[in-house]
Amino acid sequence: MSLTAIKGLQSEIFVPITPPSVWTPVTKEIKDMSIALATAAGVHKKDQERFNLAGDFTWRKIENTVPSDQLMVSHGGYDNGDVNKDINCMFPIDRIHELAAEGYIRACAPVHAGFMGGGGNQEKFKNETGPAIAQMFKEEDVDAVLLTAG
Amino acid sequence: MQRAIEEAGIPTIIIAALPPVVRQTGTPRAVAPLVPMGANAGGPHNVEQQTQIVKAALENLVEIQTPGKIVPLPFEYVAKL
Repeated sequence: MSLTAIKGLQSEIFVPITPPSVWTPVTKEIKDMSIALATAAGVHKKDQERFNLAGDFTWRKIENTVPSDQLMVSHGGYDNGDVNKDINCMFPIDRIHELAAEGYIRACAPVHAGFMGGGGNQEKFKNETGPAIAQMFKEEDVDAVLLTAG
Repeated sequence: MQRAIEEAGIPTIIIAALPPVVRQTGTPRAVAPLVPMGANAGGPHNVEQQTQIVKAALENLVEIQTPGKIVPLPFEYVAKL
């Protein structure tokens, strides 16, 4: 019995296909790593341009020296209540500073990245924003990146 | 984003509140504490919990050997609405 009722019929519903993972092996121990943060939570410095809540593929560089009280969130896709009280909920910058001070990690990277996930031009994210952020981390000899999103 | 950074040769791990979403996007490594979207790294001003989640994420960065693995974390935060 054929399960095809009408030849060539395609779903009108967009069905995303899960791509195979891209995988870079870990070669260092945690205590020898310089760790960077990257978040899709819309984190940026208070004096930087806010994200366009309707969709925005741009990103913001956040230097490791920026105090956490100089950071904020602009993101229209989730409840900002917790992150407005404490930026560490989505951008645990104070926590990685503590882990570096106690020697759990070797260092915090000199730069981190904030962008607004949950929408926007996915082609731009894939072909421009992602590679640009990756390039910055590469230039700063980052050993691993801790992301928050989803 | 995670894919782009891995493609550049830097290993990554993501802290996800919504594991099915990161599975769909083909994450290489993820941890999933019991948190709402918006407090992925733990509840506000809960330094102990945030530290536990960040440390567990880094430990799993090293331990996960299978691409696509999502490890549940036993830390829970329920937002007060």
